Amino acid sequence: MNEHLLSVIVGAPAAAALVVMLLPSSARLGIRLASLLGAAVSLAGSVAALVGYDKARGGLQRAEDYPLVPALGVHLRFALDGWGGPLLLLTGIIIVAGVLASWTLGKRDKEFFVLLLVLVSGVFGVFVSQDLLVFFLFYEIAVLPMYLLIGIWGASHEVRAAGPFAFVWKRFKVGDKQYAAMKLTLMLLVGSAAILVAIFALYLQSGAHSFDLGDLAAARYPRALQIAAFPLLWLGFGTLAGVFPFHTWSPDGHASAPTAVSMLHAGVLMKLGAFGVMRVGMVLLPEGTRFWVPVVGAVAAINVLYGAFCAMSQTDLKYIVAYSSVSHMGVVMLGAATLTAAGWNGAVFQMVAHGIMTGLFFALVGLVYERAHTRAIARMGGFGTVMPGVAAFFTLACLSSLGLPGTAGFVSEFLVFLGAWQGGHLFWAIPGILGAFVTAIYVLKATRAIFWGPGPSEAFHDLADARRTEWGALLILGTGLVVLGFWPRLLLDPIDPGSVHHLARILAEVAR
Amino acid sequence: MTPTTLALTTLVAPASAALVLAVVPGLRSRGWPAAALCILASVVSLGAALGVLSGCLADPTPSVLAVPWLRTSSVTVAEIGVRVDGVVASMLSVVTLVALSVQVFSLGYMHDEPRPAFGRYFAYHALFLLSMDVLVVAPNLLQLFAGWELVGVTSYLLIGFYYRKPSAARAAVKAFWVTKFADMGFLAGLLTLFVASGSFGWDAHLAPGTATVVTLLLFFAVVGKSAQFPLHVWLPDAMEGPTPVSALLHAATMVAAGVFLVVRADPLFAQAEATRTVMLVLGAATALFAALLALVQTDIKKVLAYSTCSQLGYMVAALGAGSMIGGFFHLTTHAFFKALLFLAAGSAIHAVHSNEIGDMGGLARRMPVTGGAFVVGALALAGVPGFSGFFSKDLVLEAVEGKLASLPWAALLATAFLTAFYMGRVVVVAFFGAPTGEKAERAHEPGWSMRGPLVVLGVLAAGGGVFAAPFAHLYGREYHFEMGVGPSLAAALAIGGFGAAYLVFGRAKGAPLPAPLALVDRVAKTSIVNRVYEVGYRRVALALADGLAWIDRYIVDGLINLLGYGTLEAGARARAVQTGLAPDYVLAAMLGVAGLAVWAVLR
Repeated sequence: MNEHLLSVIVGAPAAAALVVMLLPSSARLGIRLASLLGAAVSLAGSVAALVGYDKARGGLQRAEDYPLVPALGVHLRFALDGWGGPLLLLTGIIIVAGVLASWTLGKRDKEFFVLLLVLVSGVFGVFVSQDLLVFFLFYEIAVLPMYLLIGIWGASHEVRAAGPFAFVWKRFKVGDKQYAAMKLTLMLLVGSAAILVAIFALYLQSGAHSFDLGDLAAARYPRALQIAAFPLLWLGFGTLAGVFPFHTWSPDGHASAPTAVSMLHAGVLMKLGAFGVMRVGMVLLPEGTRFWVPVVGAVAAINVLYGAFCAMSQTDLKYIVAYSSVSHMGVVMLGAATLTAAGWNGAVFQMVAHGIMTGLFFALVGLVYERAHTRAIARMGGFGTVMPGVAAFFTLACLSSLGLPGTAGFVSEFLVFLGAWQGGHLFWAIPGILGAFVTAIYVLKATRAIFWGPGPSEAFHDLADARRTEWGALLILGTGLVVLGFWPRLLLDPIDPGSVHHLARILAEVAR
Repeated sequence: MTPTTLALTTLVAPASAALVLAVVPGLRSRGWPAAALCILASVVSLGAALGVLSGCLADPTPSVLAVPWLRTSSVTVAEIGVRVDGVVASMLSVVTLVALSVQVFSLGYMHDEPRPAFGRYFAYHALFLLSMDVLVVAPNLLQLFAGWELVGVTSYLLIGFYYRKPSAARAAVKAFWVTKFADMGFLAGLLTLFVASGSFGWDAHLAPGTATVVTLLLFFAVVGKSAQFPLHVWLPDAMEGPTPVSALLHAATMVAAGVFLVVRADPLFAQAEATRTVMLVLGAATALFAALLALVQTDIKKVLAYSTCSQLGYMVAALGAGSMIGGFFHLTTHAFFKALLFLAAGSAIHAVHSNEIGDMGGLARRMPVTGGAFVVGALALAGVPGFSGFFSKDLVLEAVEGKLASLPWAALLATAFLTAFYMGRVVVVAFFGAPTGEKAERAHEPGWSMRGPLVVLGVLAAGGGVFAAPFAHLYGREYHFEMGVGPSLAAALAIGGFGAAYLVFGRAKGAPLPAPLALVDRVAKTSIVNRVYEVGYRRVALALADGLAWIDRYIVDGLINLLGYGTLEAGARARAVQTGLAPDYVLAAMLGVAGLAVWAVLR
């Protein structure tokens, strides 16, 4: 079991999906328990993998290798680097919380949980794959179920036709759930196509007849190829990370998606994008990275501030949280662009911190929406009286998102800004710091509008605090934010050798 | 126990209380267990703090206990832990003592709250004490920043304690926004310091330019936290919180954190003469400006709030003049007498159910302990000889004298007069003369839990001057007092201020403000500084946000939609080719063959 731990983590949700498929649709509790079990096995495995990672030794550990297409050099290769443990843990936390938060779902439960579990197997697979083609396959497994999850279980809303392109409303309804699902899938698929082109270019150029990430990194690529391929990987993966201006699938997609899907998508899937940019784009293409990094950093700074300002203007609760993800993913990309150990540690830590924080946000938004039957914050007010627990957790998520010391959000933002400052990139760091302040404005504004003030009015007679399984979801996520905020070394100690290892290649290559 | 273990205890005790109250909702919702737990934690903290103090008085060698907290490239970036030295020992004692007094006072003051709210109140207090202690014992500026932000959050929670009241909700958010705005300076300062010196310690030697940049950035955060002009606007609004909270956070301890930061980072500030000059000017200006505003307030808490701004200006000016001990000793005495004043005011408010000094009157006769406490506090604040404030103000004035053509000195002397005058006004109107209403007539003294803290703080406010010598000893300095020209002048101004207040308000109570004050009143009512922020927020920030959101929806996303639309339209057009009629397809095939033939020939 121990030497196959990574396979177990990746396979458990898929196995659970298989079990759920065999269950009759009427076995509501069985479906949920099987899903929860699959998720919990992966979470426990992730904890074991994180704890068992030898930080002093660093590098790749727990390697597993199963030939898939030996003729092409495609192997199912799993291994854990320093980043893997924390990212597996994040995924485990979010999927367990997501299953708990979906407990009261009442529509095509079986199909929903199957898709959710398949998706999360894909996510686990990406974080441990050491074979680029398999990496890409898992990436697609993680991305595609989203289309069905949003298209079937999502919620539609109205977007007023306006602006210079108002005529497009003739063809499709912007804001509709099918529209959101379609836009999200198409934009991400265009990104995938770009990634695939780059992958094949690298495979052919390396001449190693192997998709192994180590082999591909060891090869030398001509400068022209690196400069041409890097944008494909940056924007291809970056679309999923919400890189400006290819982020617009995110607000509509996250606003339309059902609770658990928003949690997974914003909490984990967007990280796949940033992870792909760093792990594949930057590590494999050092010269391309050096050429493009000023652009990557500048765009990331735009992301942070632009996303925060857009969030400030929203009146729909889900859109606020969705735009905040665009802003916070900018922090990840900003850290990556610094090419410093502090910045990279901060970027990976931010993936985890933002994942947990936004998972908590979407879980809470789902709770509020289910009871208030509206997401328009202007109509809310005084909810804190009836739902004090939800208010408390919402405040906690807000504090982490504005980077309060003692929460996970501070550690990552601080490290990223430190990396930027060390690299002399004040023009990236200052928008980043300003973005954190703008975040304070919009999150506290929203908290006040929803939970504070007199009320709630009689229209909201369904309001109630969180219930059994919902408490479970909130507690797991909230505790994560606080524990990581007070003792970040739980994750930083393994992340650090990972960052140093990956960065060393880039810096050495660049110095040559 | 070693000093560091004792200092650690001041963290562990409130942390345990806060944690238990957070995870066991039953204790919180029942109210009293929460209060008991919180007060127990404060008693333990106070005991430990006094242990630290006595240890430091015997042996002032600093000691540190810290563990690595952030590491990158296997190098420790920052540590967390505790540091014990003279500065920590004295600040820690003041903080825990005032916190305990305020919590005990709150037992009576908050008694009528529903049980869950009562419990929530004390849970916040435990969290506050933890945050404040984290700030005070910090071994480096990064941990100090962490505590700094955490006290900001507890301040937000406590100002918004009556969260159903829209004005309280607004005030809480405003306080957070303004201080967070200033804290960007702290963060940028920390980053600059680290890149220049490789640590977050305050004893680095920096290049002169860097030192100025770092200290100016840090001072920007101080302006926010310690409510200096022009970021003072949140403090008067913060009076929406329960009065004991105003006493503890918004007078005695949290707002003084800015002053504490400058004291702590004194080695850095000593390298930046330019920053000190800015501090001297801004501190003196704030002292005078806020004192003028305090003159025209009719809400007793607002008078005290502006007075706090003004006194913090004194401290900042002293630090700007390079007198760490002057600023810090005034912080200490101010903590005692301002907490006392707020608690006494709270007792009066509790009795008459109004904040307006016009609704009070003659309270001293019905509430002798409260009245006595307020008068002692007022005398100490005004700096009447013998009271604690006299000695600390003297240190400040002595430090400032002669700097910048003595202009700051003159401003602070004028402030001393105004301080005595506005405090005299409150004392005369609210506590002497005849009761002005039914409520004031029926006022009576509160229970022991509220009177006890008044007595303790009253003694400290009156006699706090005796701490000057041991205080100086903690810093390795000597303290002498001589009743020279300066102190005599300050004393005369203080007594003169009270006399003037009696002459103006003693007879004609309820009479309109004298003409010069009416002018100040009219200027104050325009609240010009607040307006500027209001416009900045609505016309600039929100307008920018709305504009960007529109662009995002209709231009950035619009282009994506246009792409989708174009694809669909192109498909619709191309579909016309698929007519379903065989002749059309045959024609197309023929054309294709013909085209190929032409291509083959021309090739």
